Amino acid sequence: MQNRPSRALVAATLSALALGMTACSSGGSSTSSSGNDLGLISDGTLTVCSDVPYPPFEDFDKSSDTGFKGFDVDVVNSIAAKLDVKVEIKDSSFDALKSGLAINSNQCDLVASAMTITPEREQAMGFSDGYYDSEQSLLVGADSGIASISDLSGVKVGVQKGTTGEAYANDHASGADIVVFPSDGEMYAALKAGQVDALLQDLPVNIDHQNDPSQSGAFKVVETYDTGEKYGFAMKKTNTGLIDAVDKALGDMKSDGSYQKIYDSYFATAK
Amino acid sequence: MTLKRSTRRRLRDGTLYAVLAAVVLLVVLRANRDAISANFLDKDTWKELWPDIILTAAKNTVKYTVTAFAGGILLALVLALMKLSPLRLYRWLATAYIEFFRGLPALVVIIFMALGVPLAFGWIPPGGTIGAGIIALILVSGAYMAETLRAGIQAVPKGQHEAARSLGMNGLWTMVTVILPQAVRIVIPPLTNEFILLVKDTSLLAIVGMQANQVELTSFGQNGLTTYANASPLLAIALVYLVISIPATQLVAHLERRQQRASR
Repeated sequence: MQNRPSRALVAATLSALALGMTACSSGGSSTSSSGNDLGLISDGTLTVCSDVPYPPFEDFDKSSDTGFKGFDVDVVNSIAAKLDVKVEIKDSSFDALKSGLAINSNQCDLVASAMTITPEREQAMGFSDGYYDSEQSLLVGADSGIASISDLSGVKVGVQKGTTGEAYANDHASGADIVVFPSDGEMYAALKAGQVDALLQDLPVNIDHQNDPSQSGAFKVVETYDTGEKYGFAMKKTNTGLIDAVDKALGDMKSDGSYQKIYDSYFATAK
Repeated sequence: MTLKRSTRRRLRDGTLYAVLAAVVLLVVLRANRDAISANFLDKDTWKELWPDIILTAAKNTVKYTVTAFAGGILLALVLALMKLSPLRLYRWLATAYIEFFRGLPALVVIIFMALGVPLAFGWIPPGGTIGAGIIALILVSGAYMAETLRAGIQAVPKGQHEAARSLGMNGLWTMVTVILPQAVRIVIPPLTNEFILLVKDTSLLAIVGMQANQVELTSFGQNGLTTYANASPLLAIALVYLVISIPATQLVAHLERRQQRASR
């Protein structure tokens, strides 16, 4: 008997809270607007996620507007100019980008991070047309005696976690001890420290190490592998408006020569 | 209107329950269940993880933790005895060591051992990058545990020492057979804390490079994340971490209860 008043009170409180809650939720969910049918997280700004640094594709640059520079950054800036939106770049963890978590949890509109288009990734994300043909390559000590991928038996080969370079090494460098690193920064340090004897990764990054002025002549790229891979910009699968707009901007950049100009500024003198 | 005190209490309790229920309800209702099951509960991905998640990843996590913990305790014992030494230089050295390694992030020490030391001295620590990383964890955890052990040794009543000495035992024998066994019982709970911290710190080893058979739980989960473009592996390794660490804390709680009974 004595319990009754309190139970009634609980019920009343609960229903009041529930009412308040529904009021809340109906009011709160209308914030995701789409000013120009691009479905951007924040109006008028293309929020871009990238795992920095990965020169020459992305690197820090205090003097630039976004705080970043690199091939990906320049291409994205041009695309944004054509879409008439600002660019904001967020330095993000590599894993969140490649798993699609960053895109699917609305942390960013677009991922520009030297990311190869693969069937697995296409399950989780939508991709632009390929914007860069990526080749893999093998960097070794200049006097290591390693001349090709067939010389790697029992040799420690550094690769970057979750990359197509790692996959290529697993498939083709049989007998090698493949050591997986979070990023190129640690890989290159490990090569210099003698913890690994070779690096298998994207060609432009290895070329940068080959031409490293502080280690002149110490390392050289001995082989390149044309794997037919293309980098793409990742976007939310459902956001076809943005994907189409990015593809159109890329097409325009290729026909008006601005893409080639950016490309040449990074890669023309690479080899 | 005046209410009976018991009624007021029930009102208050009822409100507290209602708030709790509302918060839980809110979280459940606001969650996007489709997105959760697509991103974290993907059945095919979960199947792919088995059995490597246990046979490789969990096994390595336990192996690295136990090695670092055992090495750390031995180092800590030496440091603790140095800190209690009558020689000032020994005390000073131990203090300097402890302050140095407690003041640095484990990640930084790992990078220095695995990449910095070979660069500086042309000497690669045994076991390659992982061996160097475990040495770094021993150096760091030893510094933390040294202070714990010292406090434990000092917490043993002085009378124990005096009694042992008056029976004719020498200093070392007193320490090993009388003081340390009692100190160990005192420091078991804080040492468990260090053990669980170490379980998680083994994930830092990935920074200096790992071979496929060397991956621990976090790298394993991150590899899965990128391979399957799905976050289910993260949820899976989170559960395995709990399976490792919760029994450890329960074991200590049990030991503590026994110890309390024994000291009564």
